[in-house]
Amino acid sequence: MTLRSLFLWALPVIALLASLSLGSGSVGPGDVLALLSGNGSDEARFVMTELRFPRTAIGIVVGLALGISGALLQSLTRNPLAEPGLLGVSAGSALAVTVMILMGSDSAAITTPVAQVGALAGCGLVVAVARMQGPGRDPVRLILAGATLSGLLLSLTSLIMMADQRTANEIRFWVTGSISGRQWEELFATLPSMALAGLTTALVARPLASMALGEHVAVGLGYRPGRVQFLVITTVALFVGAATALAGPLMFLGLAVPFIARAIGGPDIRRTLLLCLAVGPTVLLLADTLCRLLVAPSELPLGVTTALLGAPLMVMIVRRHRMPTL
Amino acid sequence: MQRRTVLVNTALALGVAVAALAALSLGTIPLHPVGVLRAFTTGEASQQMALILFELRLPRVMAGALTGAAFALAGCLMQTLARNRLATPGIIGIDNAATAFAVASITGVGIGLAPPAMALVGAATAAALAFALAGRTGTRGYPFIMAGVGIGAIAGAITQLMLTRVAIDAANAAYPWTVGSLNSREAMATHLLAGGLALCWLAALGIGRHLNVLRLSETVATGLGTHPGRLRLAGLGIAILLTGLAVAVAGPVGFVALLGPEMARSVSHPARVPLTASALAGAILMLLADLAGRMILAPLEVPVGIVTAIAGSPWLLWILLRQTPGRAL
Repeated sequence: MTLRSLFLWALPVIALLASLSLGSGSVGPGDVLALLSGNGSDEARFVMTELRFPRTAIGIVVGLALGISGALLQSLTRNPLAEPGLLGVSAGSALAVTVMILMGSDSAAITTPVAQVGALAGCGLVVAVARMQGPGRDPVRLILAGATLSGLLLSLTSLIMMADQRTANEIRFWVTGSISGRQWEELFATLPSMALAGLTTALVARPLASMALGEHVAVGLGYRPGRVQFLVITTVALFVGAATALAGPLMFLGLAVPFIARAIGGPDIRRTLLLCLAVGPTVLLLADTLCRLLVAPSELPLGVTTALLGAPLMVMIVRRHRMPTL
Repeated sequence: MQRRTVLVNTALALGVAVAALAALSLGTIPLHPVGVLRAFTTGEASQQMALILFELRLPRVMAGALTGAAFALAGCLMQTLARNRLATPGIIGIDNAATAFAVASITGVGIGLAPPAMALVGAATAAALAFALAGRTGTRGYPFIMAGVGIGAIAGAITQLMLTRVAIDAANAAYPWTVGSLNSREAMATHLLAGGLALCWLAALGIGRHLNVLRLSETVATGLGTHPGRLRLAGLGIAILLTGLAVAVAGPVGFVALLGPEMARSVSHPARVPLTASALAGAILMLLADLAGRMILAPLEVPVGIVTAIAGSPWLLWILLRQTPGRAL
């Protein structure tokens, strides 16, 4: 237990410090310490205030958003593989943003709501698919359907990229997924909706926990499953839309974070959601730091790192003989 | 039974001819089909027409028909061996891995092997990995498919990585090819594909009788003197070879491998594995999809991979939602 809590509290701090002090450039921990004691170089000051602080803050927010929405989706579909990236939610918001850039608008204030509308559409499709599956539900099949949906939406995105050179150049790197080079304003634009989504998460945690015991139990306790489902979908759309607007469509984070959280704290969705608060940012910041260090002096796109780390995890989850059905 | 196979194959071959004629005549400069036919039979054509027909459109049509046939034949083999309609090379990541390896050779990351060779290496690697990760269940069951999905995701990420690390011109040049297009094909790769397809088709026909039996059940196949393990290895080898060669020409156009056999099965005799019919249906689909991609947004050209993905995804979703778990194929 102590070891577990040590990991829980120590790792996030380590991740935070690593994200702030390590980079592909020459500014390392020593410079950061010097800066804190008041006599850092101008270069270190610039790197810290203009690059690493916003990047780390965005990493924390995106990790939170994707981790929590993964946990919510997994609980709602009762499927340990459900994840916004795999199920086409991120692809939906990527398509929406691409369409918006094609129409000629590119201000951060509009990007977030548009991405959220796209995520909502993706979410609606996934839930419709899950509903249509009916009684013979089968976790892997939902994921394959989601992957198909995701592929369809991404091909439409590529189609737009082919059609319009300007759009293509603007989103070429965004589509791979990355949190480097973002501005504070982009983060601030997403904060109101993130806060709202956090609020609704707190609202649905208890009903979701009771729905895990069966819809009848939830109804008996006075919750309405339809309303809970609506709230969950809205929350996921708000979170994933905001995260995608900031970082592009990232795969497998929503899979890995709740998986780790469940491994630490057991299957209760309330505890999983709380743990995601710590695990999400930790995983994302560590992955992002890896991106900077692996091929320094240049950088890997974050989306590539998450796919390389997350895909084996997915295979591992499937290979476990008894797939937990949540 | 035999007569139905002949009938279906003849009809599909006619379909290929019609699709090819349409692909040869339609385009930015439309040619009259009769004129096209005359140019082929007698060789009389104006200089402009000869240029369009023989230099531009014919190689493209040939490449389209060959890749379509190769993808669909590979898909049919894999589906039969895994006894699962979902087990096409596109879904289990062979396409993506072949693309990743070929892009590596183009962008100069890998060893100096030509793209077709690298695509083959990639296809074989992905298949071997999927097998190894699936563990004891072999090609049957979901672990194989999900392992493939994971491998596909990793290969896709690596392709993207390589494309972001080269100069923007190189990335733009490689882009249509990574989504699947007949635009940037190489003559050498097409020739290799033609030879490989002929050999693989003959080999597939050779094991066709055993495949028919394997479809019933493994015990029946063993009882009738077929060695299921050896048969699997042979069939999978042919499928990998076909996919690798086809990816080297056109990039990953995975949906043809799903839709071609699907179409062939709906018209063929249910007791037989429709190998030839799948290949012909795949050729038709590829030709029509490429034609649609050239025509829909003309003068802009939509890569054939995007056309098939947009047209094929709803179909795949339909299969996923409607297929009852117990029933394979």
